[in-house]
Amino acid sequence: MGHLFQKLYSICGALAGGLILCICLLISAQIVLNGVGRFAPGAFPSTIPSYGDFSGFMLAGATFLALAHTLRAGGHIRVNLVTARMPLRAQVVVEAAVLLISAALAGYLTWFMIDLTLESLHYNDLSTGIVPVPLWIPQSVATFGMALFLIAILHTLADLVRAGRPVLTTPDEV
Amino acid sequence: MSDPMIAVVLLSLLIGLLALGVWVAVSLTLVGLAGLVLFSNAPSGLVLASTFWGHSHSWALTALPLFILMGEILLRSRMSDDMFTGLVPWLSRAPGRLLHVNVFGCAIFAAVSGSSAATAATIGRMSVPELTRRGYPENLILGTLAGSATLGLLIPPSIILIVYGVATEQSIARLFIAGVLPGIMLIVLFAGYVAVRAWMNPDLIPAIDQSFSFRQKIVASRRLIPVALLIGGVIGSIYAGLASPTDAAALGVVLATGLAFASGSFSWRLFGAAVMSATRTSCMIALILLGAAFLSVSMGFTGLPRNLAAWISDMNLSATALLMALTVFFVVLGCFLDGISVIVLTTSIIMPMVSAVGIDPLWFGIYLVIVVEMSQITPPVGFNLFVIQGLTGIDILRIAKAAFPFFLLLLLGVVLIWVFPQIVTFLPGLMSG
Amino acid sequence: QNWDMPTPYGDSTFHTQNIMQFADEVRTATDGGLDITIHSAGSLFPHSEIKGAVRNRSVPIGELFLSTLSNEDMVFGMDSQPFLATSYDDAQRLWDAQRPVITELLAEQGLMPLFSVAWPAQGLYTNGEIKTVEDLNGLRFRAYNAALEEFATLAGAAPVQVEAPDIPQAFSTGQVSAMITSPSTGVNSTAWDFVTHYSPINAWVPKNIVIVNQREFDRLDEETQTAVLEAAKAAETRGWQMSMEEAETQTAALAENGITVYEPSEELVQGLQAIGDTMLESWQQEASDSARAVLEAYRN
Ligand code: NA
Ligand code: NA
Repeated sequence: MGHLFQKLYSICGALAGGLILCICLLISAQIVLNGVGRFAPGAFPSTIPSYGDFSGFMLAGATFLALAHTLRAGGHIRVNLVTARMPLRAQVVVEAAVLLISAALAGYLTWFMIDLTLESLHYNDLSTGIVPVPLWIPQSVATFGMALFLIAILHTLADLVRAGRPVLTTPDEV
Repeated sequence: MSDPMIAVVLLSLLIGLLALGVWVAVSLTLVGLAGLVLFSNAPSGLVLASTFWGHSHSWALTALPLFILMGEILLRSRMSDDMFTGLVPWLSRAPGRLLHVNVFGCAIFAAVSGSSAATAATIGRMSVPELTRRGYPENLILGTLAGSATLGLLIPPSIILIVYGVATEQSIARLFIAGVLPGIMLIVLFAGYVAVRAWMNPDLIPAIDQSFSFRQKIVASRRLIPVALLIGGVIGSIYAGLASPTDAAALGVVLATGLAFASGSFSWRLFGAAVMSATRTSCMIALILLGAAFLSVSMGFTGLPRNLAAWISDMNLSATALLMALTVFFVVLGCFLDGISVIVLTTSIIMPMVSAVGIDPLWFGIYLVIVVEMSQITPPVGFNLFVIQGLTGIDILRIAKAAFPFFLLLLLGVVLIWVFPQIVTFLPGLMSG
Repeated sequence: QNWDMPTPYGDSTFHTQNIMQFADEVRTATDGGLDITIHSAGSLFPHSEIKGAVRNRSVPIGELFLSTLSNEDMVFGMDSQPFLATSYDDAQRLWDAQRPVITELLAEQGLMPLFSVAWPAQGLYTNGEIKTVEDLNGLRFRAYNAALEEFATLAGAAPVQVEAPDIPQAFSTGQVSAMITSPSTGVNSTAWDFVTHYSPINAWVPKNIVIVNQREFDRLDEETQTAVLEAAKAAETRGWQMSMEEAETQTAALAENGITVYEPSEELVQGLQAIGDTMLESWQQEASDSARAVLEAYRN
């Protein structure tokens, strides 16, 4: 079960990386069109419609899909100065409290993001740019990412209880 | 509850959560939530979800992961090592030596990127490992990086000047031009500080034994060509009108990838590692930005910053006293809110009093950016600190301590533009025909 | 009672100033019973999120640029249709025709329009005088919505997407060389820094709209409701007046700052109108029944 989730975090993390590359390709294509339009006006269409909107949506997707993967890789930052000086047992208790608080927040957020997505779907909300994009599509990706983040936090809590010590690594100091 | 009490409650909550080791983004969001639930009647869950969604897909933000990716690619290719090796002969005599790479690297990168987080991430990704490997002292590496990266806000293009220009209807073109000389002034201050520290304590900076003939310098400089091509390509595309600053970030990734392969010892496997690392870093920063945006919205609903600003307004201060009061106000607010929030939450109250005492709004914009730059390096909420902790794993408080001299230098910068306002107004003055 | 009101534009925009007066009048009329706090310049919600925030009752009231909703129904975008309504009189008649339909469309989302105020008519900013439509040929033209993109293409220009804050830089680097926008925006972005000529071609007269959540409105007592509606009515009248004054003073400001302001030639007007007619034809083929009905009503 744990392995399966771990796999899912990695897959979503890789998808997020793919989205960032897509943003890069999309914008690069627009720059090429700008260049071509300068030297041979009219030969090609000069704009990719709503490329700004699409980049934004892909960025949102990348951010939310990577949440769980980043958490498990110790990528989200926090202040460790105080807790690092506590005895191990206190560290475990504090870490459990931190994970519970975070899980509560992630759950709350997931709930209301589902609400937001359903509302967009209900009213068929569209983006305001040249290409109308139904907003529920990027919103469901974001909501899914937030839900996975919630799972990853609970997963980490289970690992903490099983191991009896904090399990998240901090990235190595350079 | 009175405003000062609310402020104390929320600040204690923030500090408490951070000290417990709650993630920075989660802490900011929780404090925002507490503000909404306890001190306003807005529906907190809906506002939270709308804010997280609304701020996550902004076009201005798309440059951030791309610049971070560029830095990751440079780090993994030979280019970052080449750049430092190529610079060694030129900087071997300068007091402070390679530390100036942080200052000038950030300054050059600031001309490409509009944010200080992207500047810190990109330059720091290369310079921190290289300088550490060469034995430079940690506090100066971190301090110069954290301090100089704030130049991303002042040297055009600048997201924060755009926000200020839009909120107060000042010409963005003029604000950009006005930022140039103060930017150069800060570069001189930072480089000067490094030189003075090195000169006072020569043992601080690792020696470079070799001496270099001019010929050797030129030969070594060949290694700088790829980096020069990259910088030239990115800045050139902006000034040739082919790309907006956000577009240019994508071009930077493409060029960096091409040059990394061309200079050898780069592979698709390293490219993949760069992408994943950039994904994690940008996810971390984006989540903090969302938490900060929500805290800012919550503050908007509670009206706390407005009321504090109005309180200053009611004191009817003279121009000098007002600026001193505002500087204190912004530094304190900047400890807990990010720079853009500070500006959008307070301009409505502050601009009228600023114009009432006859302060030029253009000058005030630049003043505000320097003050916001200070907020980037003050704990607990300082974005450059977060980025550098993300890069190095070193705790933000240690980084903040290393950056403190640069905080003071920025303060000195504020005093200088107050005494010599021409530093700000000279160049835009040339624009009016 | 306290209402928070997000608006997209800054404090010195006449729309925001009008709304501040609206809030003052409501406060006075209700003896402080309804206190509206204005959060200007998108400080509470980004422009694109304001409608959703009012709908889900994050805030009870908000302002937005009406034609940003045009993807939902083409009725919302009619005031930004080039050369359909080009004077304040036309714009007023168009709003009279739009209003019942828009009220109905918004009601489906639990929203109610309070008042709508026009921006000054949109003029043409270029380097050098434009005498005929042919002069637009090959220019790099700023387009920020589908209608403008079509317009640029029909005029033989190359549409370029540039967001408002990037305008000065886009001009100074040659990324764009022409744009259509209001004299207010021209003055606010100090257009004289990057263009030499301005012509009030009155391409269209777009509007901002203030919307309120129906349920929040219904929760007010009757007296307060009346006060809000009356203040809204006054704000609409005052806003249009402010807009007309704004058009004059800001066009004068452009000239004062060294921009050559010239009346469009007969030839240019005819050429532009022809493009407008072509666009209206293709518009009619895609338009919803309600949008076509509004067009009918406007034309009669
Ligand atoms: Na910059
Ligand atoms: Na700070």
